[in-house]
Amino acid sequence: MKLHRKLIAACLLSGAAVSGWSQNATMEDVERSFHPYDFEMPETGKLQPGVVVTKDNVDEIGKDFLDEGMYQMVKDGWVDITVGKLTPIVQNEKYIEATRKNLNTATLGEEVGELRGYVAGRPFPTPPSLDDPRAGEKLAWNYRFGLHFGDAGAIYPFYWTFRDMNTGKVEKTLKMEFNAYNWKHRTLDEPIPEVDPNPANIFRTIYMRVDEPFDVKNTQLLIHRYEDDLKRDNAWLYLGFQRRVRRLAAGQVTDSFLGSDLMIEDFEGYNGRISDMKWDYKGVRWMLVPFYEHDKMELGDQYKEDDGFRYITFGGQGGCFPNITWQVRKQYLVTATPVDPSHPVGHRDIFLDAQTFAFSRINIYDRGDKLWKMWFIGQGPDYASLPANQGQGVPVYDGFGMMDIQAMHCTTGQFKTEIHPDRVTPKRFTPQYLRAVGK
Amino acid sequence: MAYSRYNSKRGAATAALSGGALLALALCAGAPQVLASDMDVAGFVENATYYRESRGISKSRNTAQVEFGKDISGAFKTSRMTFNATLRATYDAVYELNDGEWGENAGGPITLANGTFGGRVPHGGGLKFAVGGVPTGLPPTLGFPPSTDFTPFFGGPASPNAMFGLPNVVSMSNPNEGLEMLGGHLSSENGGIAFGVPVRPCDIDRRGCKPLEDYMDLDESEMAWSDFNDRWDFIREFYLSGSFDLANDDQVGFKVGKQQIIWGRTDLFRVLDVINPVDYSRNNIYDELEDIRIPMWMAELEYRWGATEFFGDINLSFVWNFDKFRPSNLGQAGQPYQILDAGSFFRGMANCWENGCTVSNFPVPAPGGGLAGLGAVDFGPGVIGIRDVKLPEWNLSNTQFGIKLEGVKNEIGFSLNFLETRQQLPVLRGHIPSIDPFNPFVIDDYDYALAFDIEFPRVTLIGGSLDLYWDAIKSAFRIELAHTDGEEFADTSVPDLYSESDVVRWVVGWDRSTFIPFLNKDRAFLISAQAFGQHLLDHNEHIGAVLPGLPPPGKVGMADHENNYLFTLLIQGWYMNDRLNPQIIMAHDYESGHTTIAPAIEWLLDNHWQFTLRANYKIDDGVSTWDDDRASIPYPGLSAALTGGATTGLAPTASNGGLRGANPLGRFADGPLGMAQEEDEIQITVRYRF
Repeated sequence: MKLHRKLIAACLLSGAAVSGWSQNATMEDVERSFHPYDFEMPETGKLQPGVVVTKDNVDEIGKDFLDEGMYQMVKDGWVDITVGKLTPIVQNEKYIEATRKNLNTATLGEEVGELRGYVAGRPFPTPPSLDDPRAGEKLAWNYRFGLHFGDAGAIYPFYWTFRDMNTGKVEKTLKMEFNAYNWKHRTLDEPIPEVDPNPANIFRTIYMRVDEPFDVKNTQLLIHRYEDDLKRDNAWLYLGFQRRVRRLAAGQVTDSFLGSDLMIEDFEGYNGRISDMKWDYKGVRWMLVPFYEHDKMELGDQYKEDDGFRYITFGGQGGCFPNITWQVRKQYLVTATPVDPSHPVGHRDIFLDAQTFAFSRINIYDRGDKLWKMWFIGQGPDYASLPANQGQGVPVYDGFGMMDIQAMHCTTGQFKTEIHPDRVTPKRFTPQYLRAVGK
Repeated sequence: MAYSRYNSKRGAATAALSGGALLALALCAGAPQVLASDMDVAGFVENATYYRESRGISKSRNTAQVEFGKDISGAFKTSRMTFNATLRATYDAVYELNDGEWGENAGGPITLANGTFGGRVPHGGGLKFAVGGVPTGLPPTLGFPPSTDFTPFFGGPASPNAMFGLPNVVSMSNPNEGLEMLGGHLSSENGGIAFGVPVRPCDIDRRGCKPLEDYMDLDESEMAWSDFNDRWDFIREFYLSGSFDLANDDQVGFKVGKQQIIWGRTDLFRVLDVINPVDYSRNNIYDELEDIRIPMWMAELEYRWGATEFFGDINLSFVWNFDKFRPSNLGQAGQPYQILDAGSFFRGMANCWENGCTVSNFPVPAPGGGLAGLGAVDFGPGVIGIRDVKLPEWNLSNTQFGIKLEGVKNEIGFSLNFLETRQQLPVLRGHIPSIDPFNPFVIDDYDYALAFDIEFPRVTLIGGSLDLYWDAIKSAFRIELAHTDGEEFADTSVPDLYSESDVVRWVVGWDRSTFIPFLNKDRAFLISAQAFGQHLLDHNEHIGAVLPGLPPPGKVGMADHENNYLFTLLIQGWYMNDRLNPQIIMAHDYESGHTTIAPAIEWLLDNHWQFTLRANYKIDDGVSTWDDDRASIPYPGLSAALTGGATTGLAPTASNGGLRGANPLGRFADGPLGMAQEEDEIQITVRYRF
């Protein structure tokens, strides 16, 4: 199979060399997009699995594979990075097939945020080109329609820990549930291709509920994202002590969520509209990113689950860094700059994983162009996850960290992710559900 | 004996304290072991100590609250089902720590203004009604001992001291001690009426308690241990909640048990959120509604279509409140928190009915006709006051129900609401049998007489709500509107002294997150403003008639404003990852002019400890006055006395509004903010969450 793909790649690469960058994607592009490591592997030098990058050797072996934020942290001795083996993450064939079937049907509109003709799968599998002024935007669309939780997913329990990055003191721990559900462009889980009826023309919905601690218990968040990206998301918040569902003002989406270092806009890396940002593609980087096989990591016993599931642990400066292995993977660097001049973020440097289109690493700069926060999200193959997730062909999120470098504070997340759980249905994503579940 | 001391109070309090502590301990420590291991258990213990300027400690409330939740989805073929319970034990030590203000030693002797006759007289020292009707300085002459019960002979006022209106106000049953003057915390009488209010708990001083039985007749231990009563309020919530998935993908939801059901979308103002009554005795209007709604045994059944071809979400729910009716708890005379000072007014009036009372600045006819002046007058039992509280008995027809259609259309959330309920605030209905002080052998239901029963009429509410987001100004709006039919209000222009009015209430709320960089460059502030309007559609207000011997007429009718508006503003900020949360709340009553400012700062030390420091400061704007019915002529004898005419055959006459004061109806014009204007406080709360 790999040989077959390489042959196709060789043939088509020669064609590409002649024609230069082309807007039209090819089947080769699809293969390259979903199986990049069948076509090219990183030259990592001494950076081999098992090697630990420390402040003492980072300049020698790691600097070229770290972004400026992570490099500085290693250099300062805040964290050592253990290198893991590259684990290609195979995605569900139905999604890939949808990409093939609908190849070149998606086109950008005149405005950022306008997408025409998209049906399903990855809308722009063509390798991005620095010559394409809208390449960053296309990558953002690929992220939006990626298989982040398949067509529906849940994280429960979902532990968020607030930490003082100077002292490591744990200030607060939230226990939550997170659900996401795609109403359109579904490829894996019935109903396919979309939920009907869907009078509001919703693309995706997110639901969160806080179970602990007591002061925010029963807080619930509901977000409706519409198919029309130019349309503002709608968000509702249920506050346990008020027992009411309140419409959320847009400003609250770009504000700290429950005191964490994340804004609602930071969920999953970026949880906003495409049209809210200006997307600039900056090129390919081979980067150390937090991808790993969950079951081979150093797992903790802090939280007990009935099924024996164990979570990743955290260490390093302030306990803000995951005790995992990092692997060198192909990343696309995109700079996302908010359109709204009053947005608290100056810009984000986003490293998208070229295979899964997860926002693996993000450096967030303030409006003074000073590094403000650093984000990572851990992702791994389904075979290393819960038994129910295995074979789903969906990359599995496993943990996150958001470090506020200026405030020396971080929020870390530990996941138990379920792909396509039966309980996550459209009925869960209504304001009424918030009222029914909230006490 | 109506007035007694409960000598074993301290022992009872100790026993109650021990019992409550044991319960709290059991709730906190034992429950997790006793209940199933997968039961979700959380809660807190808390001390809230408030200090009121001029009166000292006004609250030292200790609370233990435990919440239980258990997921039993799948049971009875449900797709989701949970059991939820909340138990709360509250002990307020203020009645021990500051018993000179709020407990067994509260109150004292009082004096009352003697109007145009000059000076002040002690309670019981007012002018007496002589036989023949005209008040004089003579003592009562009828030779029955005060404890003689004439009720079997004459019916009417159920008072053991009924003296046909011939007063013996100061007796062993109604001494001048343990009293406060009604409204005295706000001002002196200023030419208006006032009377003594017994302010000691009902186990210490029974005066004014019996007529308010089961409504405002709490003993000290019941005030201190407010959750432990015969309605088992320590069970804050106890219900099953769940849903069934139907074959057509719709859902049927249910919620049955003791619970709070919340309608509407706004804070503080209860336009649609009126299913549960509210306990204002906890901290007036300032505690979170979650903590002061009085849970009721109710069932809610809901059909959820979810998204349809037309609606983004749509559901229909039916609520049945099958619990025995409970009015809102307004607080009792002698408690630190009383909304509108109503508890004092009611108990003082109940004491007037039961034992008689001295009323300041009352019109005194001249012996030859006309008005001699205003003076402190002693009324005997059964003449004026509150006779009874008519709480509806439980029967099927007395239960309450509501229907709500709620959904989302074009990104606008909406609801349509219908509720058949009862007025949770009391209405004083006049026209009950009482004694004519000018002819004490006649008991009749006189027009305009200041003799009342408290009732809670049926009310029908129809309303709706909206929420929407306006992107251009990055703001969310919340709107509620309700029309009620059946509400009753005090009205000095009609013979029953109350009348019905349809009411429209509305609230518009505005929320916006806004960065204020010089205060916090990293975290936005929430700015939330609300405007509340209330319109009495059948408002009754006019200038009274010229009456012989009385001052020129003034306004009479309903003291409640025909149109009134309140405004609130909340600015809330967050620092240190939301562990340090300052906020300021301001509320302004447009018609009365009163303003409250409540700054607060909350500090969450960790997952467990929480400190809150608040202030509650009022900018007062004086005291409102209204016609107090002194200028009415309920009794033929009074008419005769004023006109020098015959004692019979004259029609009763409504008040002409020429005499007015802060008591009793000015309190409705002043509203909750104005009536608490002397309650500036510093409030400290320490909470341990688990």
